[in-house]
Amino acid sequence: MSQFRAKTLDIGGYVNKWIIRDHTKRKVVAEYETERQSLRYIIRNTSLPQRMRAQAQLQLSQMHCYTRPTQVKNRCIMGGKGRGVLSDFRMGRFQFRMNALAGNIPGVKKASW
Amino acid sequence: MRLPRSVQAIYLRPLRRTPTYGIPSCDLQLRSYSVRNLEFFADFAMRAAYYLNLAAKGPIPLPQITERWTVPRGNFIHKKSQENFERKTLRRLIQIQDGHPTVVQCWLGYLERKAYHGIGMKANVWDFEGLDVVGRMEEEGDRLDREMEVHWSNFGVRANAATEESLEKLLGEKAFSRQIRPMEEFIRDPVEVNRS
Repeated sequence: MSQFRAKTLDIGGYVNKWIIRDHTKRKVVAEYETERQSLRYIIRNTSLPQRMRAQAQLQLSQMHCYTRPTQVKNRCIMGGKGRGVLSDFRMGRFQFRMNALAGNIPGVKKASW
Repeated sequence: MRLPRSVQAIYLRPLRRTPTYGIPSCDLQLRSYSVRNLEFFADFAMRAAYYLNLAAKGPIPLPQITERWTVPRGNFIHKKSQENFERKTLRRLIQIQDGHPTVVQCWLGYLERKAYHGIGMKANVWDFEGLDVVGRMEEEGDRLDREMEVHWSNFGVRANAATEESLEKLLGEKAFSRQIRPMEEFIRDPVEVNRS
């Protein structure tokens, strides 16, 4: 969302709207992590009053979706693709293949066994 | 013309010292994707150990780590035509036996300084310890704790972090106080109705 997005571009490399969005989400998640964790703690702590826990539940559900760690997705650093990304290389499968064949990834060779 | 001994030794297998007791003092693991670089650097490490008067065992070849990936050849569909890629990590282990800790550190530092491209290194170092280890460890731990206090006191502190006060504000100050029930003024005690 625009209220979280940096005013100027603050990432390098391949950039498209998905990459920017994911980058923003990562920053927001990192920023609100303690708050989320403390609310989660209150909710799960059975020794606290029920009212407090219910309020914490409400607060947690009302937090912005960008603060949720599940919103973060690994994307291809070469083309911004969101599916078929090899986490070992942070690249989409086709980009991985092209780079591996070009010899840009150390140690990766065509296998035959 | 005969070459000097030290130069001639380069053409021969690395010399090695014999350990007195054979108690390991350092395990150095070298990792690389290329055999040539790895063999070369392992050889270099052995020679360095010899000239530092350290008894080195190895290089022992450890099992290689093979990682494989299978990806479709094309960028779109055509799942039936795929290609395999692999990365083999080769490993060598060099063990130093009966080494003096400072000399071992010197050897490791030298290897780090002369680090070769495409080679990863990791070392496990063992040291002798006198009696009353626990007492000294505790002392050391307390000292480190006191030293780290300055750094830890700043850890995770943020102006907008969720502190106790901010959480109280977040949950409302009246979290514990009794809230007014709905229709409070209309609630009355039950009256007994006499039915005859």
